[in-house]
Amino acid sequence: MAQSIKHQLFFPHPAESVWEYLTNPELMELWLMKSDFRPVVGHEFQFRTRPKPELNFDGIFYCRVLEVVSFKKLSYSWKCGPGDGSITIDSVVVWKLQPKDKGTELILDHGFAVMGNLLLFDGMNVGWLQNMNKIAERLNTEKHGTTNA
Amino acid sequence: MAQPTLDAFQVIADPSRRQMLMLLSKDSLTINSLAENFDMSRPAVSKHIKILYSAGFIAIQDVGRERHCTLKQDGFNALHEWLNYFDQFWTSKLKNLENLLNNKIVN
Repeated sequence: MAQSIKHQLFFPHPAESVWEYLTNPELMELWLMKSDFRPVVGHEFQFRTRPKPELNFDGIFYCRVLEVVSFKKLSYSWKCGPGDGSITIDSVVVWKLQPKDKGTELILDHGFAVMGNLLLFDGMNVGWLQNMNKIAERLNTEKHGTTNA
Repeated sequence: MAQPTLDAFQVIADPSRRQMLMLLSKDSLTINSLAENFDMSRPAVSKHIKILYSAGFIAIQDVGRERHCTLKQDGFNALHEWLNYFDQFWTSKLKNLENLLNNKIVN
Protein backbone atom coordinates (compact mmCIF):
# COMPACT_ATOMS: atom_id res chain seq x y z
CA MET A 1 0.00 0.00 0.00
CA ALA A 2 1.42 3.37 -1.00
CA GLN A 3 2.06 6.00 1.60
CA SER A 4 1.69 8.74 -0.94
CA ILE A 5 0.38 9.47 -4.40
CA LYS A 6 3.08 10.67 -6.75
CA HIS A 7 2.86 12.20 -10.18
CA GLN A 8 5.60 13.57 -12.37
CA LEU A 9 5.13 15.72 -15.45
CA PHE A 10 7.30 17.63 -17.86
CA PHE A 11 6.40 21.00 -19.30
CA PRO A 12 8.35 22.73 -22.07
CA HIS A 13 8.10 25.98 -20.12
CA PRO A 14 10.27 27.78 -17.58
CA ALA A 15 9.63 27.08 -13.91
CA GLU A 16 8.33 30.63 -13.50
CA SER A 17 5.40 29.93 -15.84
CA VAL A 18 4.52 26.62 -14.21
CA TRP A 19 4.76 28.26 -10.78
CA GLU A 20 2.17 30.84 -11.87
CA TYR A 21 -0.32 28.05 -12.50
CA LEU A 22 0.33 26.60 -9.06
CA THR A 23 0.05 29.83 -7.12
CA ASN A 24 -2.22 32.30 -8.91
CA PRO A 25 -5.83 31.56 -7.85
CA GLU A 26 -7.22 32.73 -11.18
CA LEU A 27 -4.99 30.34 -13.09
CA MET A 28 -5.45 27.55 -10.49
CA GLU A 29 -9.18 27.70 -11.02
CA LEU A 30 -8.68 26.90 -14.71
CA TRP A 31 -7.26 23.43 -14.04
CA LEU A 32 -7.55 22.66 -10.33
CA MET A 33 -10.31 24.25 -8.28
CA LYS A 34 -11.67 27.58 -7.18
CA SER A 35 -9.92 28.73 -4.02
CA ASP A 36 -8.82 31.63 -1.88
CA PHE A 37 -5.19 30.52 -2.04
CA ARG A 38 -2.28 32.89 -1.43
CA PRO A 39 1.37 31.81 -1.53
CA VAL A 40 2.00 32.88 2.05
CA VAL A 41 3.13 30.45 4.76
CA GLY A 42 0.38 29.98 7.33
CA HIS A 43 -2.40 31.17 5.02
CA GLU A 44 -5.52 29.04 5.36
CA PHE A 45 -7.69 28.40 2.35
CA GLN A 46 -10.24 26.01 0.92
CA PHE A 47 -10.73 24.11 -2.28
CA ARG A 48 -14.18 22.95 -3.27
CA THR A 49 -15.00 19.99 -5.41
CA ARG A 50 -17.91 17.60 -5.92
CA PRO A 51 -18.95 15.83 -2.71
CA LYS A 52 -18.46 12.07 -2.58
CA PRO A 53 -21.18 10.59 -0.36
CA GLU A 54 -19.85 7.04 -0.77
CA LEU A 55 -16.58 8.18 0.80
CA ASN A 56 -18.35 10.30 3.37
CA PHE A 57 -16.75 13.41 1.92
CA ASP A 58 -18.52 16.79 1.73
CA GLY A 59 -16.41 18.22 -1.09
CA ILE A 60 -14.35 20.75 0.86
CA PHE A 61 -10.58 20.53 1.28
CA TYR A 62 -9.26 22.57 4.20
CA CYS A 63 -5.70 23.65 3.50
CA ARG A 64 -2.93 25.64 5.11
CA VAL A 65 0.21 26.78 3.33
CA LEU A 66 3.26 25.08 4.87
CA GLU A 67 6.15 26.01 2.62
CA VAL A 68 6.79 28.44 -0.22
CA VAL A 69 10.10 28.49 -2.07
CA SER A 70 9.46 30.58 -5.16
CA PHE A 71 9.66 28.63 -8.44
CA LYS A 72 10.94 25.54 -6.60
CA LYS A 73 8.66 24.19 -3.93
CA LEU A 74 5.18 24.64 -2.54
CA SER A 75 3.37 22.61 0.07
CA TYR A 76 0.08 22.75 1.93
CA SER A 77 -1.83 20.62 4.36
CA TRP A 78 -4.88 18.96 2.86
CA LYS A 79 -7.68 17.89 5.17
CA CYS A 80 -11.24 16.84 4.61
CA GLY A 81 -14.17 15.16 6.28
CA PRO A 82 -17.86 14.37 6.13
CA GLY A 83 -18.97 17.96 6.88
CA ASP A 84 -19.83 17.61 10.56
CA GLY A 85 -16.68 19.41 11.63
CA SER A 86 -14.63 16.24 11.97
CA ILE A 87 -11.57 15.51 9.84
CA THR A 88 -11.11 12.06 8.39
CA ILE A 89 -8.27 12.69 5.94
CA ASP A 90 -5.23 14.57 7.18
CA SER A 91 -2.63 14.75 4.46
CA VAL A 92 -0.01 16.98 2.83
CA VAL A 93 0.39 18.06 -0.79
CA VAL A 94 3.90 18.93 -1.97
CA TRP A 95 4.79 20.42 -5.36
CA LYS A 96 8.38 20.50 -6.57
CA LEU A 97 9.68 22.17 -9.70
CA GLN A 98 13.01 21.34 -11.28
CA PRO A 99 14.52 22.85 -14.43
CA LYS A 100 15.20 20.15 -17.00
CA ASP A 101 15.87 20.01 -20.76
CA LYS A 102 14.68 23.53 -21.57
CA GLY A 103 11.61 23.02 -19.52
CA THR A 104 10.37 22.15 -16.08
CA GLU A 105 9.76 18.91 -14.32
CA LEU A 106 6.82 19.10 -11.92
CA ILE A 107 6.52 16.57 -9.14
CA LEU A 108 3.41 16.14 -7.04
CA ASP A 109 3.57 14.18 -3.81
CA HIS A 110 0.30 13.81 -1.93
CA GLY A 111 1.34 12.14 1.32
CA PHE A 112 -0.68 10.36 3.95
CA ALA A 113 1.77 10.31 6.83
CA VAL A 114 -0.70 8.47 9.03
CA MET A 115 -0.08 5.39 6.95
CA GLY A 116 3.57 5.56 7.94
CA ASN A 117 4.59 2.13 9.09
CA LEU A 118 1.52 0.52 7.58
CA LEU A 119 3.63 0.69 4.43
CA LEU A 120 4.76 -2.75 5.45
CA PHE A 121 1.34 -3.95 4.40
CA ASP A 122 2.56 -3.96 0.83
CA GLY A 123 2.58 -7.71 1.03
CA MET A 124 -0.58 -7.58 3.00
CA ASN A 125 -2.74 -9.82 0.86
CA VAL A 126 -0.34 -12.66 1.39
CA GLY A 127 0.04 -11.86 5.06
CA TRP A 128 -3.57 -11.90 5.99
CA LEU A 129 -4.31 -15.02 4.00
CA GLN A 130 -1.57 -16.82 5.87
CA ASN A 131 -3.08 -15.68 9.12
CA MET A 132 -6.49 -16.88 8.04
CA ASN A 133 -4.98 -20.26 7.23
CA LYS A 134 -3.29 -20.39 10.58
CA ILE A 135 -6.48 -19.71 12.43
CA ALA A 136 -8.31 -22.24 10.31
CA GLU A 137 -5.66 -24.76 11.30
CA ARG A 138 -6.11 -23.92 14.94
CA LEU A 139 -9.85 -24.16 14.65
CA ASN A 140 -9.54 -27.55 13.01
CA THR A 141 -7.07 -28.72 15.61
CA GLU A 142 -9.41 -27.59 18.32
CA LYS A 143 -12.34 -29.41 16.84
CA HIS A 144 -10.78 -32.52 15.40
CA GLY A 145 -7.71 -33.14 17.46
CA THR A 146 -4.40 -32.87 15.59
CA THR A 147 -5.43 -34.49 12.31
CA ASN A 148 -4.54 -31.34 10.41
CA ALA A 149 -1.13 -30.77 11.94
CA MET B 1 -21.92 0.68 23.86
CA ALA B 2 -22.73 3.47 21.43
CA GLN B 3 -19.40 3.89 19.74
CA PRO B 4 -19.36 5.78 16.46
CA THR B 5 -17.86 3.82 13.59
CA LEU B 6 -14.71 5.65 12.62
CA ASP B 7 -13.57 6.29 9.09
CA ALA B 8 -10.71 4.01 8.01
CA PHE B 9 -8.17 6.83 8.20
CA GLN B 10 -9.34 7.83 11.68
CA VAL B 11 -8.94 4.25 12.76
CA ILE B 12 -5.30 4.08 11.70
CA ALA B 13 -4.59 7.63 12.94
CA ASP B 14 -4.12 6.17 16.41
CA PRO B 15 -0.57 4.84 16.97
CA SER B 16 -1.71 2.01 19.28
CA ARG B 17 -4.19 0.75 16.73
CA ARG B 18 -1.56 0.97 14.01
CA GLN B 19 0.76 -1.07 16.17
CA MET B 20 -1.96 -3.64 16.78
CA LEU B 21 -2.39 -4.02 13.03
CA MET B 22 1.37 -4.34 12.63
CA LEU B 23 1.49 -7.10 15.21
CA LEU B 24 -1.42 -8.87 13.59
CA SER B 25 0.21 -8.60 10.18
CA LYS B 26 2.84 -11.01 11.45
CA ASP B 27 0.57 -13.47 13.19
CA SER B 28 -2.93 -13.88 14.51
CA LEU B 29 -3.03 -13.23 18.24
CA THR B 30 -5.39 -13.74 21.12
CA ILE B 31 -6.70 -10.59 22.74
CA ASN B 32 -4.65 -11.46 25.82
CA SER B 33 -1.36 -11.85 23.99
CA LEU B 34 -2.08 -8.70 21.98
CA ALA B 35 -2.70 -6.80 25.22
CA GLU B 36 0.67 -7.90 26.61
CA ASN B 37 2.37 -5.68 24.03
CA PHE B 38 0.72 -2.54 25.37
CA ASP B 39 1.17 -0.55 28.50
CA MET B 40 -2.50 0.20 28.90
CA SER B 41 -5.48 -1.13 30.80
CA ARG B 42 -7.34 -4.14 29.51
CA PRO B 43 -10.53 -2.08 28.89
CA ALA B 44 -8.47 0.39 26.85
CA VAL B 45 -7.12 -2.47 24.74
CA SER B 46 -10.65 -3.84 24.30
CA LYS B 47 -11.87 -0.45 23.15
CA HIS B 48 -9.21 -0.28 20.43
CA ILE B 49 -9.98 -3.81 19.38
CA LYS B 50 -13.67 -2.97 19.15
CA ILE B 51 -12.85 0.01 16.92
CA LEU B 52 -10.64 -2.10 14.65
CA TYR B 53 -13.35 -4.71 14.49
CA SER B 54 -16.22 -2.31 13.66
CA ALA B 55 -14.17 -0.67 10.91
CA GLY B 56 -13.46 -4.06 9.33
CA PHE B 57 -9.72 -4.18 10.01
CA ILE B 58 -9.85 -7.34 12.08
CA ALA B 59 -11.94 -10.43 12.61
CA ILE B 60 -12.43 -12.04 16.00
CA GLN B 61 -12.99 -15.74 16.41
CA ASP B 62 -13.59 -17.68 19.55
CA VAL B 63 -11.36 -20.72 19.89
CA GLY B 64 -12.15 -22.47 23.12
CA ARG B 65 -11.92 -19.87 25.83
CA GLU B 66 -9.64 -17.59 23.81
CA ARG B 67 -10.58 -14.84 21.41
CA HIS B 68 -8.33 -14.76 18.36
CA CYS B 69 -7.81 -11.63 16.26
CA THR B 70 -6.82 -11.78 12.61
CA LEU B 71 -6.46 -9.08 9.99
CA LYS B 72 -9.39 -8.56 7.68
CA GLN B 73 -9.26 -7.00 4.24
CA ASP B 74 -12.34 -4.74 4.44
CA GLY B 75 -10.76 -1.96 6.49
CA PHE B 76 -7.78 -1.84 4.18
CA ASN B 77 -10.06 -1.72 1.17
CA ALA B 78 -11.59 1.47 2.57
CA LEU B 79 -8.11 3.02 2.68
CA HIS B 80 -7.56 1.94 -0.91
CA GLU B 81 -10.83 3.55 -1.99
CA TRP B 82 -9.66 6.90 -0.67
CA LEU B 83 -6.23 6.54 -2.30
CA ASN B 84 -7.85 5.57 -5.59
CA TYR B 85 -10.13 8.57 -5.36
CA PHE B 86 -7.17 10.93 -4.89
CA ASP B 87 -5.14 9.21 -7.57
CA GLN B 88 -7.93 9.69 -10.11
CA PHE B 89 -8.50 13.21 -8.85
CA TRP B 90 -4.89 14.24 -9.48
CA THR B 91 -4.66 12.38 -12.76
CA SER B 92 -7.57 14.36 -14.15
CA LYS B 93 -6.48 17.69 -12.67
CA LEU B 94 -2.94 17.31 -13.99
CA LYS B 95 -4.35 16.44 -17.41
CA ASN B 96 -6.14 19.80 -17.30
CA LEU B 97 -2.91 21.52 -16.38
CA GLU B 98 -1.05 19.82 -19.21
CA ASN B 99 -3.70 20.86 -21.72
CA LEU B 100 -3.62 24.42 -20.48
CA LEU B 101 0.13 24.82 -20.35
CA ASN B 102 0.90 22.97 -23.52
CA ASN B 103 -1.60 24.92 -25.57
CA LYS B 104 -0.71 27.97 -23.62
CA ILE B 105 -3.04 30.28 -25.49
CA VAL B 106 -5.27 30.86 -22.56
CA ASN B 107 -7.91 33.47 -23.05
